[in-house]
Amino acid sequence: MNDENQENLKELFEKFLDAEQAESCVEDVQKAEQILREHPAPEPDDMLIANIKAEIAMRLPARRTGVFKQIAYKSVSVAAAVIFLTAIGLRLFEKGSDEPGPVVYASIIPTAIWESDDIAADDADLAIFTTEIEQIEDELLVLQFGEDDANGDSSVSELEIELIEINSSDFWKG
Amino acid sequence: MEFCNKSAVEAVFIYVKRLNMAKSDELAQIIIGCKNGDSKCFSQVVDMYASRCYGYFYRLTGNNDLSDELLSELFVKLVEKVGSYKGGSFEGWLFKIASNIFYDYLRSKQRRKKLLDVQKKQLESEPTEPKQSDNEQIDKLQIQLRRLDTDTRELIMLRFYSELNFKEIAQMRSEPIGTTLAKLHRGLKKLRELMEG
Repeated sequence: MNDENQENLKELFEKFLDAEQAESCVEDVQKAEQILREHPAPEPDDMLIANIKAEIAMRLPARRTGVFKQIAYKSVSVAAAVIFLTAIGLRLFEKGSDEPGPVVYASIIPTAIWESDDIAADDADLAIFTTEIEQIEDELLVLQFGEDDANGDSSVSELEIELIEINSSDFWKG
Repeated sequence: MEFCNKSAVEAVFIYVKRLNMAKSDELAQIIIGCKNGDSKCFSQVVDMYASRCYGYFYRLTGNNDLSDELLSELFVKLVEKVGSYKGGSFEGWLFKIASNIFYDYLRSKQRRKKLLDVQKKQLESEPTEPKQSDNEQIDKLQIQLRRLDTDTRELIMLRFYSELNFKEIAQMRSEPIGTTLAKLHRGLKKLRELMEG
């Protein structure tokens, strides 16, 4: 044990004991360690050392193989983890695509008709409907101003019949 | 004159410190070599530590053959585990392995003893310590060491052969430094009394 360690030892004992007790403890330790130094243990046999070195040399290639295997296993496990995570990611991504995507609007009405101001000309049914509406309007005006030469009941009846006809026709269903 | 002495002491101290630094640099290089699988570096580690580790095992077991076996096991473990050494005190790391090997041996010995106790009652009267070879002489220290409990004996040997400081030993044993200090003092005092008595 070197002097530096002995000095540390004294400091250490003084943390737990008073100076006098610490001094006594250090002395006990020093004397006991002196006894240990005076009774050295036997040295290992040269043959033993040579055998150990030979065994180490023999084990080193196996260790290298072991290290290589370790690296290989690690690489494979990392690759497997990456593949697994990628698969999960893709799966999640696919699930995400089940949600409504961006709405694409497309006109089912031809642009030429859409942009045309003459709607009646573009649709025959619409033209008929428009004509009938105009006719009803005229008749209503006649009723309103009392221009009907016959009695009003017949005009109202005619109007009702026309409305029933319109209602019964399927033009509005397309 | 006193000034000259002080200067000389300081110079020696600086020299020792530099020497230690150079040694630790050299050791670091050797350990790097070991990690790279260089057999020469392993041989250097064996040369550096075999004697101390052998002494540690011998004083704990009191048997040359067993110490040979444990020392071989230690260096085999070193080859296997050197990759896990992450810096810090190499002695601390190496002697931790040595300590584990010793306690593993003790456990296996206990198991063997229990087995034998069950099978043959008469073995109880026989000594459990390993038999010495004919050409071995047990020194007085070894006899007195047997009278200490295993834990104290291991602590004393760890301190003496590993040359670790108390902080490192306490860390290694996972106990407070005060406990380590008290155990060591008690053990060494008892050993001294036994040797002197």
